[in-house]
Amino acid sequence: MMYEGVVVGVAVLLLGLAVVAGPWWPRVWLGLTLAGAAAAVGAAVVVLVTGNEWEWRSGFLIGGEGLHVRLDGLSGLFVVLAAGVGAAGAVYSLGYWAERQYPASAARSRTWWSGMVASMLLVVTLSNGLHFLIAWEAFAVCGYFLITLEGEKPAVRAAGWLYLAASHAGTVCLFAFFGLLAAKSGGWELGPMRGDASLAPMFWLALAGFGMKAGLFPLHIWLPSAHANAPSHVSALMSGVAIKMGVYGIVRFSGWLPLPAAAGWVVIGLGAVSALLGIAFALAQNDFKRLLAYCSVENVGIIMIGVGASMLARGHGDAPWGRLALAGALLHVWNHGAFKALLFFGAGSVLHATGTREMSRLGGLWQRMPWTAGLFALGAVAVAGLPPLNGFVSEWLIYLGLIDAVAGKQASALAAMPAAIFLAMAGALALATFAKAGATMFLGAARTKPAAQAHECGNWMLVPMVTLAGICLGLGLAPVLVWPALERAADVWHAGCFASVVVPLVTLGWVQLGLAGLMATAGTMLWRKVRANNLRRGPTWDCGYAAPSARMQYTSGSFGGLAAAWFGWILRPQRMLRRVRGHFPAEAIRLDRVPETMLELVIQPLAERVMQLSTAVRRLQHGHLSVYILYVVAALAALTGLVLLENVP
Amino acid sequence: MNSILDLILRLDCWLLLAPLLPGIINKVKAWVAGRRGPPVLQLYYDLARLWKKGVVMSTLASPAFVILPAVTWVALLSAAMLMPLGPLGAGLTFRGDALLWLYLLALGRFCTAWAAMETGSAFEGMGTVREVSYAVLAEAALIAAVLTLSVQSGSISWVTMLGPPMGAGAALLAAGLFIVLLSENCRVPFDDPNTHLELTMIHEAMVLDHSGPPLAAILHGASMKLLLFTVLLVQAVLPMSQLKPLAAGAVLACGVLGVTVAVGLVESLLARFAFRRVPLLLTTAFLLCLFALLVAWKGGLA
Repeated sequence: MMYEGVVVGVAVLLLGLAVVAGPWWPRVWLGLTLAGAAAAVGAAVVVLVTGNEWEWRSGFLIGGEGLHVRLDGLSGLFVVLAAGVGAAGAVYSLGYWAERQYPASAARSRTWWSGMVASMLLVVTLSNGLHFLIAWEAFAVCGYFLITLEGEKPAVRAAGWLYLAASHAGTVCLFAFFGLLAAKSGGWELGPMRGDASLAPMFWLALAGFGMKAGLFPLHIWLPSAHANAPSHVSALMSGVAIKMGVYGIVRFSGWLPLPAAAGWVVIGLGAVSALLGIAFALAQNDFKRLLAYCSVENVGIIMIGVGASMLARGHGDAPWGRLALAGALLHVWNHGAFKALLFFGAGSVLHATGTREMSRLGGLWQRMPWTAGLFALGAVAVAGLPPLNGFVSEWLIYLGLIDAVAGKQASALAAMPAAIFLAMAGALALATFAKAGATMFLGAARTKPAAQAHECGNWMLVPMVTLAGICLGLGLAPVLVWPALERAADVWHAGCFASVVVPLVTLGWVQLGLAGLMATAGTMLWRKVRANNLRRGPTWDCGYAAPSARMQYTSGSFGGLAAAWFGWILRPQRMLRRVRGHFPAEAIRLDRVPETMLELVIQPLAERVMQLSTAVRRLQHGHLSVYILYVVAALAALTGLVLLENVP
Repeated sequence: MNSILDLILRLDCWLLLAPLLPGIINKVKAWVAGRRGPPVLQLYYDLARLWKKGVVMSTLASPAFVILPAVTWVALLSAAMLMPLGPLGAGLTFRGDALLWLYLLALGRFCTAWAAMETGSAFEGMGTVREVSYAVLAEAALIAAVLTLSVQSGSISWVTMLGPPMGAGAALLAAGLFIVLLSENCRVPFDDPNTHLELTMIHEAMVLDHSGPPLAAILHGASMKLLLFTVLLVQAVLPMSQLKPLAAGAVLACGVLGVTVAVGLVESLLARFAFRRVPLLLTTAFLLCLFALLVAWKGGLA
């Protein structure tokens, strides 16, 4: 039992050493980070396979509290995610954020990277409220320094500041949450406390604090700009893992705390709204990294649909469909980590090669970057939830849970029905979004010179991408291998409450394998047949138009326009249009921009009002001592009046 | 042995009978217009000819341009294997196969869209955008239909979902699914398969650059998809589980023929809608399926 603990300790120690080694020796740093990640994954896998939880209390005090570490199924799941993506990104960053190109920030990137991975491992394993907050803060600060690696750019600084502000707004909720929890339960120790029904309202604080980090709509305001402006390896870690820390918090504390009656409804509702609106925003984006960022909002929404459904199930006599939905949600945590990291790495490769994040300036990249194009396409299929890859498996599990809930015909069906419909629409929109992203970036003709002169990325960047693609394929073809781990984590969430459910995952795995095989065979056969029949190359036909140009292709804006218009009520697209006028038109402009509605139309005006109010209040403070004394006298008089009035009868 | 025979019979059903449907539709349209029309077997001749032809591929396109139509075809054929055929049952059935079916169709759509964008043609871009955008609403209607059938039968596997009688919701579901059938298969009033004006097309505009064997795979896949939706519509609405196998088979065949003729009649009597009215019609389909769902749900509660 001790081994896992020692191994986790070693992992954190190695990552700590990596923090120290980072600035000076890149290779040593890489070795230490990989070894630390491998140790963490090893310990977590042992826990997930054997199901033996590991818990360790020490007399060693930090802040007056004894150290309490717990590695159970649920923590194990997130440890594997954090260490896996952390390791892949570490390798990637050596090629992407190399010393030669970024002499100023490469060292900082390495140090904060290991620090962030280590602190996230601590967040998911520490079981003391005070220490949890310390690790949480450390992880948020590491994230800030990683996002602002290119701090000389104003957009990056703004994104970093917004991230920090939002993150701390969430942390305030968490301070209140853990503080109240400690006050009510009599100690900072964390653990199952479902017995005390008076703790139930605390869940709302946790939901607000963790939901902010997870990027649930409408708390996602910080996410798009942070993910878009951070270096791509950082975006991968932020999107693949960091927002999952919020998910971890919600899952963990919804399992430990007694739940308010409305909790399941609210979470599934937030999830459904995040899924649909997140992907609608993604479809309307023209910057491919912002597109991926909004897509993270969608995927967190999908996860929350599953988590919310399982909370509902707990309120409905622990129905087995809750377990299905929870297993699907937890698998989606892994899946999203894998394919979103892959997509951000692909995006980084494109950014590295062309220097632009604007999709409509790219095009035809597959000719110069076939590997990136192929891997991005694979990630696109996975993120759109299509068989035979992993995204489909987790969405399928969530659907099964929701549909069983509907078929159960209890009150919960009224939440499950719209959730299933929203999930289906989000899936179709994700397909449109990634058809658009893939097509405008990689297909057709190059629209600009940088796109025409792009180059494939190096092996440091390619190897992690191929590995992640292999994981996407593996999780899709053999989902049954990870089922025990999911079951273990679901058991931790709410021990032994769900009847064990039988899922035809073996059948699904074989079907997916068969599909993949058939598709490969049919594709090869058709290609051979075409070669045998005589294959000629010619210009794109374009209905007889003789001189098609690259500017005539569908751009990102024109591709997303049709479906995005249906969401105009929330997307609020801003348009600047100067039409062609007269016989000798001077200039014609059309600019389309999709604002971050929640931030620019809700939060910012609100913040401005608060600032105005504060400015008004500030007039009270002017430095005249006599008036200050008047304030004191007035306050005393008011208090006296209050006391006298109270005593009257 | 038996299962191999079953598989061969089933494959024959889907692969060989599917190209009949477009032929029947065209014949109906010709009759209504007072023409003689092309032979019912025209698509078979077309497929045979295309299979022998060479291919011209855009200089911009990657090999995926040829491979993806094959992937689409496999996805549609696999979806067909999941769809029960009256007394024959389904080729493969497990819990949740209806969802796999739905996502296989989506995979087909993704591959078609990707292959279309390979050419960099504005026309194909236009078709792709329409296809993937309208599919959002069609998908909502389809999942509502799946939920309806699942509430009705308490199962999420086509074989049991398509058995029990539907009751009053059947008419709503039939109307909703029929509209989705027209949309997903790009028939009038959503798309005009006969037009020669590329600006007004959806599916045809997406496959403009394809030729030879890949085009054959696309055309054959499209006819399978039409048969797939027709079979789904007939089985979702008619209570076939209570009939004897032979009678059920006959009812299924007649139903498929009836729906096909109905598609032909719609095409003869209606013109293509303006594109801005398409979302409205698809939303109607979604609402019809949603009402069917509510009827099924209420019915179960009473």
